[in-house]
Amino acid sequence: MTREEIQSEILRIFKEEFEITNPGLDENLTEKYDFDSIDALDLLGEIETLIGSSLTREEKKASMEIRTINQICDYIEELAEKRPL
Amino acid sequence: MENRVVITAASAITPIGHQRQEIIDSLVNGVSGVKELRDDRLLSGYVESKVFGTVTVPMEFDFERKFRKTMGPVAYYACQVVKEVLEAAGLDNAFISSGRLGVAFGSTHGSPTVQRDIYRTFFSNSREGFSSVGAVDYLKSMVHTTAVNITKMFGITGRVISSSTACTTSSQSIGFGYEAVKYGLQDAMVCGGADEYDTTTVAVFDNLLACSTEFNHTPHLTPRPFDTKRDGLVVGEGAGALLLENYDLARKRGAPILGEVIGFACNNNGGDLILPNMNGITETIRLGLENAGIGADQVDFVSAHATATKMGDVAEAMAIFRALGDSPLVTGLKGYMGHTMGSCGVIETILTLYMMEQGFVAPTLNLDEVDERCAMIRHTGTLRESRIRTAAIQNFAFGGVNTCLLIRDFH
Repeated sequence: MTREEIQSEILRIFKEEFEITNPGLDENLTEKYDFDSIDALDLLGEIETLIGSSLTREEKKASMEIRTINQICDYIEELAEKRPL
Repeated sequence: MENRVVITAASAITPIGHQRQEIIDSLVNGVSGVKELRDDRLLSGYVESKVFGTVTVPMEFDFERKFRKTMGPVAYYACQVVKEVLEAAGLDNAFISSGRLGVAFGSTHGSPTVQRDIYRTFFSNSREGFSSVGAVDYLKSMVHTTAVNITKMFGITGRVISSSTACTTSSQSIGFGYEAVKYGLQDAMVCGGADEYDTTTVAVFDNLLACSTEFNHTPHLTPRPFDTKRDGLVVGEGAGALLLENYDLARKRGAPILGEVIGFACNNNGGDLILPNMNGITETIRLGLENAGIGADQVDFVSAHATATKMGDVAEAMAIFRALGDSPLVTGLKGYMGHTMGSCGVIETILTLYMMEQGFVAPTLNLDEVDERCAMIRHTGTLRESRIRTAAIQNFAFGGVNTCLLIRDFH
């Protein structure tokens, strides 16, 4: 997947699953959209579906500091380096 | 110091209607909310009882996702009736979040629909299925899911009481809420209960041979409290909420007062967890009168628990006669909608408030011929114009729990 494809999929997930439409790529999702820890865990489930494999415990822990769409895309790209997407 | 406790708002979602006027119309016109059991592709094909007290009114829950995400169906019901109660009461947001308003709300199971999905994952034998257990499934299915979704949605920061005692869940909510305001622990309490459509409850009672089975093709003719042809209870769904307030504070803010809670009692039979117990019920009513500081002669209406089981109705009728005599009118409101489980106490309280306000007493639906073993009390056989001044609302639950609420007219 290209960066653009990843970003497009993440924005789709945010619209369909979290009812957040077109957030700014560097906006703090927690501060601006009340995106909380429960949402973050649900997002990890969506990412697992997107990449077609389960995340390890360490990979999940590594996601906890993520706050923006761009950081989510970075995170998925890092996951992609360890497994084919 | 003891405070007087008044009811300043009420709302219910029931098999016989959602809003106040729909419910009153159903009571006046003898409309039943019992329908054929829906096919759930799991249990409905096995249970013998094919009827259910069903909420059929279409409802749109316009809750934001940040609230919806931790709700199963039971919490939707709970938050909807509380939303309507808070809107009707006109409480300002500063008071709601002041810590002086608490919540007493419960359900029988949390959300059985969500629990069923979790079990499906457990037994799917699939590793992929594991990830389908969502982060919020516990929040949706835990026993206090109704109470805490209410606190979250409305920003309530006071006490939280979440009883889960099956059929006495919401009568305990009202009773414990009443005590919290009476003794000055809170200025106001949102009280109630909810239960969603659930066939596992039908299966449980069906296996105990306690469910109605003879009227599967004529659902509106069952349950039949106190009737010779009664053949068991009908499980139902619904929700109800009341706002209880310190009388002085309610009067100060000019709140409309629907009724006053003047007494509450709760006890246990101290033995069998299933069988009804005449002595336990009698004692609950007597304790309720003592708590209210009134004599039996002041009670002019009884909302009986009356689930329409063979033994339960007889034990309750005998207990009513022993504690209150044959003067008060007695109605089994479950005849209209079945047994709405955790919400039955609050729904039956709200229906009683509506009858107080409107000056009528609804008859026990489907009571065509009184069982002679239940005949010693004064049944409401037909719709009556009658002023209810003091009502006793009785509920009994598996586990031997009994409650009696005493409500007084305030009009």
